[in-house]
Amino acid sequence: MSECIVITSGKGGVGKTTTSANLAVSLALSGKTVVVVDADIGLRNLDVILGLENRIVYDLVQVIEGECKLKQALIRDKRVPGLYMLPAAQTRDKNAVSQDDMKRLVQDLKALHDYVIIDCPAGIEQGFKNSIAGADRAIIVTTPEVSAIRDADRIIGLVEAHELPEPDLIINRYRPGLVERGDMMNREDILEILAIPLIGIIPDHQDVIISSNRGCPAAFDENSVVGQAYRRVAARVQGHEVEIPSFETGNGLFNSFMKWMGLAPVREVV
Amino acid sequence: MRAFLQRVLGGKQGSKNEAKQRLKVLLIHDQVDLTQAQMEQMREEVVAVIRKYVEIDDSGVDFKLDRGESGVELAASVPVRRVHARAI
Repeated sequence: MSECIVITSGKGGVGKTTTSANLAVSLALSGKTVVVVDADIGLRNLDVILGLENRIVYDLVQVIEGECKLKQALIRDKRVPGLYMLPAAQTRDKNAVSQDDMKRLVQDLKALHDYVIIDCPAGIEQGFKNSIAGADRAIIVTTPEVSAIRDADRIIGLVEAHELPEPDLIINRYRPGLVERGDMMNREDILEILAIPLIGIIPDHQDVIISSNRGCPAAFDENSVVGQAYRRVAARVQGHEVEIPSFETGNGLFNSFMKWMGLAPVREVV
Repeated sequence: MRAFLQRVLGGKQGSKNEAKQRLKVLLIHDQVDLTQAQMEQMREEVVAVIRKYVEIDDSGVDFKLDRGESGVELAASVPVRRVHARAI
């Protein structure tokens, strides 16, 4: 059975598009067919993150307005079988699409693919409402910062008000070194506040910037810690039990002290 | 143990506790949507009702919103000096 997952956060710049792209790539790498939809009408970015910006012919609004067939607008990613992108319109605004339009579109896409991933725009207005209209479940992306977590809390309430099941959480830009010295909220701190299931922690890493420069999501790189983290998220999305590692650096004050004492570093629980 | 050692070795607590504390307060106010003045008014009215029945220590009254198991909870701590004879 096909499933539509919306990637949302409330706050901008926390990594929704990067997460959408990497999750879609990871699901495709595990053998599923996936279409990732850029729902940020007027400010499209997913095409650039995926490196598919030069192949766009038609967009989501043209599909909805009947200017082209759905299959004509889907761009196939040649790097992995079963991965497609539906780009947003760049020259239109969010009001060009209604919630009913999105529901119909998602139904049509679900008939073609195992997973439909929706990259939701920032904010809680029309673009957000459209993005969650056809979704079966939501994944909330946050970073370990006060402002991002505050917005995530708001979004969790809105997702539940739209009668979607309890959303899952991705903690993005996690910095184990900062966590170990007490300058970043850890996994337990964030879960205590947001109280939804954790589906992944993505470490803050240069791979994200390098992969966005190249238009090649980190999930394609087997050796990338970020890519590995996203592939684990994809496994959990499919219902597999995969442990969320702690990403400890071993350089925390406590570990340094233990090393100094001649004792083995203690595993940081994050 | 870990936190203790960090405090001893590092001299001060990291900023994450501040972040967490600020967040908790923020989220309560986001959810409750009451102004500071309305909160103060509610406090005064609740305390006035209690004062009708018992003598209380005004300086020790603690009245705040907190996040509990099932959402926002209102916690009031009102020290009682003496129960009025007529209330019994």
